[in-house]
Amino acid sequence: MSKLAGPTRTNTAGDLVVLAVLAACVVFYCVDAIRASRDVLNLILVLPLSVAAFALCLAQFLITLRETRVRGSATALREEPAAEEPASARQGTESFADVFRVVGLFAFYVLTLPWLGFDIGTCLFLAAFLWLHGERRWSRLLGYSIGFGFLMALFFSRMLPYPMPMLLLGAA
Amino acid sequence: MIDGESFLAALNMLFSSPLPWLIVIPGILIGLVFGAIPGLQISMAMAVFLPMTLYMDFMQAMLFLTAIFTGGAFGGSIPAILMNIPGTSSSIATTFDGYPMSRRGEHNVALGVALGASCIGVIVGYSILFLLISPISEIVLKVGPAEMVAVSLWGIMLIGALSSRSLLKGVISGLAGLLVATVGFGEAGVARGTFGSAYLIDGIPVIPAMIGMFAASELFRLARENYLVKQDAARRVSIRQVLAGFRQSLARPWIVLRGSLIGVFVGAVPGVGSSVANLLSYTAAKRSSSEPDSFGRGNSDGIVASESANSTSEAGSIATLLALGIPGGAATAVMLGAFAMHNITGGPQFIREETDVVYAIILANFGQAFLLIALGLVVVPLLAHVVKVPMTYLVPSVLALVTFGSFGLTGDLTGPVTVLVFSIVGWAFRRYGYSVPAAVVGLLLGDMTESSLIYTYQISGGQWSYLLERPIALLILGLLFASLFGRRLIGLLMPKTSR
Repeated sequence: MSKLAGPTRTNTAGDLVVLAVLAACVVFYCVDAIRASRDVLNLILVLPLSVAAFALCLAQFLITLRETRVRGSATALREEPAAEEPASARQGTESFADVFRVVGLFAFYVLTLPWLGFDIGTCLFLAAFLWLHGERRWSRLLGYSIGFGFLMALFFSRMLPYPMPMLLLGAA
Repeated sequence: MIDGESFLAALNMLFSSPLPWLIVIPGILIGLVFGAIPGLQISMAMAVFLPMTLYMDFMQAMLFLTAIFTGGAFGGSIPAILMNIPGTSSSIATTFDGYPMSRRGEHNVALGVALGASCIGVIVGYSILFLLISPISEIVLKVGPAEMVAVSLWGIMLIGALSSRSLLKGVISGLAGLLVATVGFGEAGVARGTFGSAYLIDGIPVIPAMIGMFAASELFRLARENYLVKQDAARRVSIRQVLAGFRQSLARPWIVLRGSLIGVFVGAVPGVGSSVANLLSYTAAKRSSSEPDSFGRGNSDGIVASESANSTSEAGSIATLLALGIPGGAATAVMLGAFAMHNITGGPQFIREETDVVYAIILANFGQAFLLIALGLVVVPLLAHVVKVPMTYLVPSVLALVTFGSFGLTGDLTGPVTVLVFSIVGWAFRRYGYSVPAAVVGLLLGDMTESSLIYTYQISGGQWSYLLERPIALLILGLLFASLFGRRLIGLLMPKTSR
């Protein structure tokens, strides 16, 4: 179980943004459900859950703000710089840049599957990932990407009962 | 309670020829492989191999399918422990302590504990089933939609409260999961939250969403690390440590027994079963532990609790299938298909007239548990080598694997896109302290919760007083309330009593 610490100054803004997005999604979904039909059967679960979720988001929003204010005044009293907080006390210590690079690559892989197919798409994704993470030995980079990519594509295309998008293996 | 004549007939059926046992070994191996590969489900394995059972007699077919079930129940714990990816929804609680143990270099012990708890759980679970199959089926008949709503809400809130330091954030996560699960066409016949997309009309594909939230989001975080286990020395694979882990699970008979009881009875409830049983067992173990704070940080008791419950929930769901002819989940639905292929109908009459077959199925599972020990001890050390793979290679390989697997689940690109979207949601949840397990359990149970709530509304005619006629539902709602606010209430009351 991921035991995560409470909100800290370093990511309070992000925390509040996530809460706001969650609350907005809940409101949008609830309004959309009401617009679709006001029938009890349609709203019996969605409406009470939405109200509860929105109220809890609001409560958490206020708690986070209050905690930030309390922590801010405590820090001012101690006159300690924010950077001195131990890394272990922070919630997510990974850098945004690293995560966005992986997410971007994964998104490119998934969204181009209809054109590149599972065979070529997987090989390219593996090769690009290995390259970005420092693998410069061409034999390993190409060998692993092509070997693993085609093996997976072959295995799943034989196992699954429906056609998979493929660029090379589909034509074979 | 036990029919001696049928018992002897069952023994004769099983041991008069070695043939029934020859298909058990491939069955367990298939289950292990499908359970261990994220994206491949036990139900998928059973569906893929179902046509083979046409060439078997009914007994052999059931042995083969239950062997896949048994192997898969344990197989799901392997990626849960090594990669924080629950191979199946019933392995969610295994990730809580299994993965932290792996990160500490105790992957061998964790896998051994999971293997031991699963095998003992199967034995204990089927023993309970053997003794109590009739009472269990009667209890299941008393569980109506109101109870199912209460059980699913309890499971979601419980895990929300447990898996996040902030109770509010845990509960918000669970509610968000429940809401997302209701996207698409509902019981009223209207589409909600689909943005006009045809892909969302059937709702969000649950298993790809689960894979995205659990696995892909964690992999994003791990991409910059060198190995799953940081210390070189801790990365070695040791059969001795696997055996030590196995022995650890033997030394926790009470946790196994409690997990098995929870597994059998909760597993028998159709639709809820194994997804909730492992969480309830984990919660019970944490509450009764002298070191509750160590749970979630790599306490092997957490694995014992989760694995003993999820392996016995198989016995519970088979009880419902045999006694009532109702499949508890996708895997038992495939088994029901095997029943139909052999012109057999489950239900009270089946139990009465084919008691020897029922006993043979139960007894065969004892044998399967021992075979699983042997096969597990061979397979587990091989799979544990995954900790030696550099993250540079492991992360993209697993991301590619879950993309293939999610395509396999949906049959189109909705699956991979769902993994992508929910991996980002999961990453944000982890980063800001929300409960990914609660959101996932909400996703898994949302559909069932809504339909059960509608049935309750229709049965009760919208009268709240109907709840007073459902003592089991009231009891579960009371437990839900106690789980969320019990400690706070006690905290509020204690100073008054001490005065």
